[in-house]
Amino acid sequence: MRAWIRLILPANYMDRQRRAGFLFVLPAVLFFSSVFLVPLIQSVIGSFYRTRPGGASEFVGVRLYEKVFTDSTFWTSVVNTVSLLSMSVPTTVILAMAAALGLNRIQSLKWRNVWAAMYFLPFSASLVAAALIWQWIYDPVYGFLNYLLSAVGIPPQKWLQSLTQVRPSIAVVNVWVRLGFDTMIFLAALQSIPGEYWEAAAIDGAGAWQRLRHITLPLLNPQIIMVCILELIFNFKIFDQVYSTTQGGPASASQTVIMLLYDTAFKYFRMGDASVMAVFVFLTLLVVTLLQWRIFRKPVEY
Amino acid sequence: MRRHSMVRVAILALIAMTLILPGPAAAQQKKLVYWTHWEQNPDFNKWFETKGKEFAKKTGFEVEVVTIPYQGYEAKYLSAFMGKSGAPDFYNGMTHQWCGQYDFCDKMPADLAKTWDENLPKYMMEMGRWQGARYGYPIEHGNFQMMYINVDLFKKAGLNPDRPPKTYDEWLPAMKKLTVLDAKGEASQVGFAIRHKGHPVGITDKFLPFAHAWGARMLSPNLDKATGFANGPEMVAALEFFGNLVLKEKVSSLTLGNPEDAFGQKRAGVIYRESWFYGWVKKNAPEVNFRIYALPCGRACPGAGQLFPWANLVYKDSPNKQMTWEFIRFISTAKDDLEQHQLQGILPVWTANQETQYVKSRPDYQAVKDMLAQPVPPAYFHPKSNELATAFGEAVVGVLYGKGQPKALLDDAAGKMDRVLKD
Repeated sequence: MRAWIRLILPANYMDRQRRAGFLFVLPAVLFFSSVFLVPLIQSVIGSFYRTRPGGASEFVGVRLYEKVFTDSTFWTSVVNTVSLLSMSVPTTVILAMAAALGLNRIQSLKWRNVWAAMYFLPFSASLVAAALIWQWIYDPVYGFLNYLLSAVGIPPQKWLQSLTQVRPSIAVVNVWVRLGFDTMIFLAALQSIPGEYWEAAAIDGAGAWQRLRHITLPLLNPQIIMVCILELIFNFKIFDQVYSTTQGGPASASQTVIMLLYDTAFKYFRMGDASVMAVFVFLTLLVVTLLQWRIFRKPVEY
Repeated sequence: MRRHSMVRVAILALIAMTLILPGPAAAQQKKLVYWTHWEQNPDFNKWFETKGKEFAKKTGFEVEVVTIPYQGYEAKYLSAFMGKSGAPDFYNGMTHQWCGQYDFCDKMPADLAKTWDENLPKYMMEMGRWQGARYGYPIEHGNFQMMYINVDLFKKAGLNPDRPPKTYDEWLPAMKKLTVLDAKGEASQVGFAIRHKGHPVGITDKFLPFAHAWGARMLSPNLDKATGFANGPEMVAALEFFGNLVLKEKVSSLTLGNPEDAFGQKRAGVIYRESWFYGWVKKNAPEVNFRIYALPCGRACPGAGQLFPWANLVYKDSPNKQMTWEFIRFISTAKDDLEQHQLQGILPVWTANQETQYVKSRPDYQAVKDMLAQPVPPAYFHPKSNELATAFGEAVVGVLYGKGQPKALLDDAAGKMDRVLKD
């Protein structure tokens, strides 16, 4: 309480400094509180209530948790989401790393920027627009991809209309969209590593693979962890691409948790059930992120 | 001194802004806002604005139409109604959802309800009603599926387009004749354009005419039970037939994309769609030579019925709801009904308009009459219809994609639907 009073009525120079610092962070705190924290708390509270929009709410304890967690549709959507991200995340990270290493070797700044911009371009496209373009590319009859395959004698595939191909097909879209962003992060990190490390290792007789394994990758550890976490969050929350291409089909093969959450809230009008799913997504991502952070993060010093 | 000047300037600026910016109440006072997701019918929607100008001469209230994209319209409606800000005065929606599952509708004044009850075709009487009370009025007639045939493909297949199949015993051989397979055994042209993509609710909607023709129904008559109905022997037989169109008979294909596109591209001989589809074909595929007939019969002849009973409803918390009802009263005439629907090329709603020159000259005139002559199929105007239709549609699409046998998938769906009904 005293600290708050001194924040409002500073008694000395240090108090004034603290107040200035507080005022600087205040807009950000207010923004994040109103946009993230308040909805999160509302979701947690909402998950214990059966709500009839426009009508009364009824406290039901953990009944909605029991209901959602015993529903096979929910677990199918979880499995679909995990399957999708297990294809997208490693592929994106590995390809982004490869692209960044390649770009880092280009000596000409102009050409490096041109290539980097090309990689980054898909990231700036709207997800819905990108998904619709890919929907056309994947079209079994008129699609560009089947046209290319037919040119080399491969029979047409069903892509988004196949139970087995739909998730890998969506994963490719995710990789395409996210590759540029991850590449930029890795490229920036690579450029901040002093070149002397590689030179010294080369003088000591280390090959390219050894330099990558023992110098580059350890020094990129913070960025790799960060990119993995970002990709995990992005892919776990996947919605736009699925919604605008398959709407969870065919036969629920691409139904993800967020798709189901959306349908539950806005198509079936079950706000409580949807809140349970939102809490599940939040806790899952929180736990996985913390685990990743604790297990894989190593301190890096140049 | 400087601080005082700044404070004065700030106060003056605030006062000036308050004077310049009109209050939200003043801005909305003279406008009735209408929300619709009928993006495919822009002329129909615009008519409200035209009529609003006429209405404004008497009352000072104009009408503003806001078109919400159909995909995800529920989320937009819900946010506005729950937030109570920026919500429309009246809107296009389903009564059993917005007035039944939710409580967002104002009851229609008795005299106006009487006008509508006296002028609607019999099968539409329940549309716009919830638990016996009228909340809104139906905006579309002919919103039931009929059989569109491609005349040229019929002729090419040696079929007579003047004598379309009347029963499913005749229908299946005709679909086989219309199907053309390529060298690899894949259909390059199909008999029947089947709905297999998109949300399961839409798939349910497109399968129900088959279910009803087989004498099946999705829910019990009082809509409180699915087991024994959604997985009854008639439903299993209907779904087996439907699935076999793709899996065994190969008269339908899962690779042709949207059924509407397949029909428009002359890759399908037959499609089941509502009355509005006639306008769509005329606009998007004018070279397609088509005719419209009543649906074929199985054990039963499915008549005019629909899963989506669209109605215009009034938001109960609208500050302008009395004026909105006045506007609806203003446009509740046979003349306006005809004018608005004719503008868009869709069927008018009022009984008095069903024998007008406009309706008689339409290619679906006889088909609509034939459908109306058949018994009204079961309706499922349940507040949880979306969730029920999703569970059911997942079974239908599961069969089409070979995920399981009809009986097993329908048993599973019926169980889920019962849980939804009990919850």
